[in-house]
Amino acid sequence: MNLRDVYVIGVGMTKLYRKAPVSIDELGRQAARDALKDAGIEVKEIEEIVVGNMIGLSKTICLGQRIGITLGCQGIPIKNTEGACSSSAVAAHLAWERVASGLNDVTMAIGVECLSSYRSGGTAFSPDLNDPEALHGMTMPGLYAMRARRYMHDHGATKEDLATIAVKNRKHATVNPYSDFRTPLTVEEVLNARVIADPFTLLMCCPNSDGGAAVIFATKEKAEKIGKKLVRLAASTITTGIFNNSFRDMTYMDITYRCAKKAYDMAGLGPEDVDMVECHDAFVVGELLYYESLGFCKHGESVEFLRRGDSDYGGKVVFSPRGGLLSCGHPTGASGAAQIVEATWQVRGDAGERQVPDCKVALTHVTGGGVYGTENAICTIHILAS
Amino acid sequence: MEEQVIYHPDFLVIPEGGEKPYLVAYRCEKCGKLYLPKVNICLNCFSEDLVKQPLSGKGKVYSYTIQYTPQPGLKAPLTVGYVDLPEDLRVLAQIMAEPEQMKIGMDVEVTVGEIRKDADGKSMISYKFKPVE
Repeated sequence: MNLRDVYVIGVGMTKLYRKAPVSIDELGRQAARDALKDAGIEVKEIEEIVVGNMIGLSKTICLGQRIGITLGCQGIPIKNTEGACSSSAVAAHLAWERVASGLNDVTMAIGVECLSSYRSGGTAFSPDLNDPEALHGMTMPGLYAMRARRYMHDHGATKEDLATIAVKNRKHATVNPYSDFRTPLTVEEVLNARVIADPFTLLMCCPNSDGGAAVIFATKEKAEKIGKKLVRLAASTITTGIFNNSFRDMTYMDITYRCAKKAYDMAGLGPEDVDMVECHDAFVVGELLYYESLGFCKHGESVEFLRRGDSDYGGKVVFSPRGGLLSCGHPTGASGAAQIVEATWQVRGDAGERQVPDCKVALTHVTGGGVYGTENAICTIHILAS
Repeated sequence: MEEQVIYHPDFLVIPEGGEKPYLVAYRCEKCGKLYLPKVNICLNCFSEDLVKQPLSGKGKVYSYTIQYTPQPGLKAPLTVGYVDLPEDLRVLAQIMAEPEQMKIGMDVEVTVGEIRKDADGKSMISYKFKPVE
């Protein structure tokens, strides 16, 4: 099947709040209205909406319809989708498919989450209790802490290396008005914070946050008519974990390797073309794992990559220019769309003080969930190009 | 006595005579692949012929963490780890050891204990691991 080229014609995002001043559906509407304004189109031009949210947490019913009906949508299809932290990246993929396939010319994806209204402090996020590993007490910080410990054991990363990633991403967020976590950090502060899951301290884990993000996709014809700088969605890919309950290297993120290969093939681009990445840095070790699995260095070489400054401004590729999940917080269901919003601003050259110089290609990556026997349940990658 | 539930009698056997508890994997009769917990079909060859195979109960810690911020309803600190069994299976379990005892590669053996309360407040008993003495 021949796919049509798809362009990002409008993006919008709320601030990512420690505690949102409005309800979850209003976060979605605010982001959607901003995206419509950005595209300069009327709501009636949207042919279909896909909404991503962690329904298991938010306990919402018909959230997309609740957002869309009072946004002014007049009876168009609205779909709700869930894939843990990937939820709105999956929504974006589904909205992309509609345009790429020729079924629609203009679609919207919205990601939204309001964790402060349904998650209690002092406890850690975990897979649902149908999972045997979660049932035995494993949390998500715990899972990534085990990855970090093994990576330190196998490849010589230190706690200082892990802290450096938190410091780097916080430095980026200090000039991001959308982040609620903008106070600079030092390596000592990160190391001395209270321990969440050894070797992780609190500041090596992403904070919870609330927010909404929306992206509007359209055909090239429509994008040219709007007349903004063209941003092409060069790849949109999803992979699912493959079951393996035997010995495996838990620092080799096979699901991301597979998803990245698909994405680069689809885009006709490689890691050497990528100027910036927003990855699933829910925990500091994530960046080390994803330098490798997104193809920027070989397995086991991430520590050198980090220490050389290759993942920062002035290096080979800027990881987490908006501050990543570590310093924007992680409004789980909204993060996939929020990353695409940032990537669009960066490729347009509209990212203000945090602009990655001459950004032509941006990659967003978010995984989701813990399902035992896999490294992650789901992985999603989007590549945006000028 | 507090009511107990066993997670899960299909793959954890606690003999009534006081002998050591042991784990039971499910082996595919066609391709030999082992599973723990139980699956309904072999994910390697899709055969439905899976038979019980008792395990040695020994293993080595592949990685671990001491969780100071637990799931809602669980007590901290809680040590969990991936244990690699000689039968080429990896199991996530709670590990009954002091934090300073924990090391990658340490030898552990299976034991049983409460892992949490279930939704009805019953004590949920499952496999755990402890250092080999």
